[in-house]
Amino acid sequence: MKDRLAAALKVSRADYTEIRVERTWSSAVTFRGRRLETATVSEDQGGFVRALNRGGGWGITSFTSLDALPTMVARANQLSRAVRLDRPIRLADTVPQVADAALDLDGDVRGIPLAEKKQLLEAYNGAMLAVSNAVVDTQASYRDDVSEVWYVNSEGTALALLRPEVTLSGTAIARRNGTIEKGLESIGLRKGWRSVHGLEDRFRVVAQRAVDLLDAPRVQGGTYPVILDNELAGVFVHEAFGHLSEADFVYENPQAREMMTLGRRFGKPVLNVGDNGAAPGLRGTLPFDDEGTPTQDTPLIQDGILVGRLHSRETAAALGERPTGNARAISFRHPPIVRMTNTYIAPGPAGGALEDLIKDVKLGVYACGAFGGQTMLENFSFTAAWGHMIRDGHVAELVKDVVLAGNLFQTLDRIDHIAGDFTWNQMGGGCGKGGQFPLPVTEGAPHVRIEQALVGGDV
Amino acid sequence: MIDRLLDAACATVDGADALWRREDRTAVAFESGRLKTAGVTEETGVNLRVVAGGRMGVAGTTAAAPDLVELIARARASAQLGEALALAFPPAAPLPSVPTHFDGAANASLDDLIRMGRTLVERLAREGCQVNVAIERELGETAVGNSAGARGGYRSSAVAVTAEVVRIAADDVLTIYDQYLGADLPGDGDIEALVRSIETRLEPALTVVAPPKGALPVVFTPAGLAAVLLPLEQALSGRTVLQGSSPLAGKIGERAFDARFSVSDDPLAPGRPASRPIDDECVPSAPAPLVERGVVRRFVYDLETAALANARSTGHGRRGIFGKPHIRYTNLIVGDGPRPTPDAQGRGSRDVGRALGGGLLEGIADGLLVDDLIGVGQGNVVGGGFGHPVGLAYRVERGEITGRVKDAAVAGNVYDLLKQIAGFGTDGRWLGSRWSPSLRLEGVSVARR
Repeated sequence: MKDRLAAALKVSRADYTEIRVERTWSSAVTFRGRRLETATVSEDQGGFVRALNRGGGWGITSFTSLDALPTMVARANQLSRAVRLDRPIRLADTVPQVADAALDLDGDVRGIPLAEKKQLLEAYNGAMLAVSNAVVDTQASYRDDVSEVWYVNSEGTALALLRPEVTLSGTAIARRNGTIEKGLESIGLRKGWRSVHGLEDRFRVVAQRAVDLLDAPRVQGGTYPVILDNELAGVFVHEAFGHLSEADFVYENPQAREMMTLGRRFGKPVLNVGDNGAAPGLRGTLPFDDEGTPTQDTPLIQDGILVGRLHSRETAAALGERPTGNARAISFRHPPIVRMTNTYIAPGPAGGALEDLIKDVKLGVYACGAFGGQTMLENFSFTAAWGHMIRDGHVAELVKDVVLAGNLFQTLDRIDHIAGDFTWNQMGGGCGKGGQFPLPVTEGAPHVRIEQALVGGDV
Repeated sequence: MIDRLLDAACATVDGADALWRREDRTAVAFESGRLKTAGVTEETGVNLRVVAGGRMGVAGTTAAAPDLVELIARARASAQLGEALALAFPPAAPLPSVPTHFDGAANASLDDLIRMGRTLVERLAREGCQVNVAIERELGETAVGNSAGARGGYRSSAVAVTAEVVRIAADDVLTIYDQYLGADLPGDGDIEALVRSIETRLEPALTVVAPPKGALPVVFTPAGLAAVLLPLEQALSGRTVLQGSSPLAGKIGERAFDARFSVSDDPLAPGRPASRPIDDECVPSAPAPLVERGVVRRFVYDLETAALANARSTGHGRRGIFGKPHIRYTNLIVGDGPRPTPDAQGRGSRDVGRALGGGLLEGIADGLLVDDLIGVGQGNVVGGGFGHPVGLAYRVERGEITGRVKDAAVAGNVYDLLKQIAGFGTDGRWLGSRWSPSLRLEGVSVARR
């Protein structure tokens, strides 16, 4: 395949050309209630070409028929030339990479019969249904894939990559009279068949929580000291801060650049944030991004000060900074854009755990898990999966409908205590941006305290 | 392709249906006012579903010249694990006529799309603001068939023009977004409406005012209604009903909403990209009233959920290349009438953006106009409860917009709020594949920091 791509590169008349070809083998099993919804095996394949010429813009083609590769290389060049630009697009220099990088398949999912995958998921789904009669519905899904990716560019980079992935998710819907609640488990690993066994308890716990939430009161809306658990703190740093650190947000926008000036104080000295695409064994981990740049650990906030951002080659050149290996595409159907990998809040220097964060909180909210999060630049919203009130320094009653809303700058600045109990949260699903969803990412954090935050709920 | 595949499949299975689809997309993107990217995408694929031994299985491929024997074998293997299901493949039937392919869209050149984008960028340019514009034209070809002899096929076109104005002043980020979506190219009037819609929301947003607090009247614009309508979209799906999680289950024929409130789905709405003569499971298209004057009339089904619910498919089966068909709405029409006029059906309403709130602000002593909420779709949607911070909202005082509010959140339960609707706006429009006017709802919880 590499030779085929090299031959196609040779005939390109563009100043810069890159080709990415992918072949993805995947299988999926889904249950809804006791019904098996699907059990399928799929093969998806296609190619992507991006061309750039001096004075031109990006010309992009994507296609499912690989026979069309030479035509598509020529078309990308024509499209690039059809875009006239006064200020040229430049790409930051990188060292051309030649590598065959096969990640450990950890029990190659391609060799496991579909029936065994069904059996595994049936057990997890059954564990949720068995919790209570109040669990009226479940959704459970298992998905695995192995992607072969070939990437070449006209600067000499030639990569062959093999990436496994397996994701499991379970939703339990509990209902009593008119009240409906849900519990959600989601696991995503850049691993294989060996990693997905013995997880019944995790599914049982979320189903039990959905049942417990039926009787829980809605949180009283208002402003509280809020402690985020590891999972929600991770989602928070990804959504509320991570997206602003993606340089495509600032590189064409002087006002945004000013807002995100390196050296600006973003939080108290306790706050350290980074993105590490090279962290071993995580779902957002990759040896190279989709421009062939090696991944790395990029500090974003150090001791409360903004010190870095995430780059593609284009954004790095525009800002006079170095590429960070964050240009990623979800598939051959899309161009690489600036994305996160494994984003984290580093453990606080003082260490400690939840107890240390709540011991002097008279009335607060302990917000746990994440149903989701969304940002509109400086404003964000997170829906915790569940919460507890904190009363007189102790975790008290279960509450539901805990939605955190706020302004990024104010909220980051109000983080006053970060525990030492760091964990990576290997969730399924993924990140969405520019029509590209779901991109595998991981988030990691310890327990984090926000002095004051707005919690939605009953007003 | 479909005939060959079904012939080959039927030799070894009890029944089958299949979809073949080709999509060609041409897209141009302007970033911060500059044309940066031009791209084309070509994608072809086949999706096959079989019933073998009374069980259902599916398989798909994007291979250029698919190995039909291998595809059928994969579908059969999938069926071996599948649950027993008495799937009723619909027989051949006459199809309604609906235009889905427009020459204007099909013949537009790359330069035409670039020119349109430039015009829009120029119209929206203003000091201190970044303008992003994306134009995408998609041409499709679809063929469906089944072992009961039904066949269908059509060509389609769709054009999406999205424009976004971003204004950053110190730490205040304001984003105003709108989209034209149609089966044909937008006319001058449509581009004008898009510009006006953005300008109308930008001007009053430049002033930031304190949000109000309490149980207040809130006007939801067609865009702002997403949070209110999403629970209904889920609850009216036959799948949610089957699973026992729809609050509307068992309420067919009952009044659940304001007596003026209606919801229907119309796959034959002219000029809409989601319109088609036949669904992806060979069921001929027909409009479906779902809620009529507050009374729940019907749920939407595809073949599978219809078989499970002992109902008939309403023609809402949609399938991708991989996986099995699922329920999807086509053109959802929400409001109290008047129904979209033929012109407004094909294109965006020309009145869009003339005044915010569609005439519903009058008489509001203190309240909100909500155009965008953050985090819609998160949380426990199907129960009807929602609570979101505002993305774009304005304070309404003594019947007039006094400025944009930030750091506020709205919450409520749609089943309570929609029992009594204080007003339907005169600003009905298409937004994506949904048509609705603004709605004024009373007693919405508004919280502020």
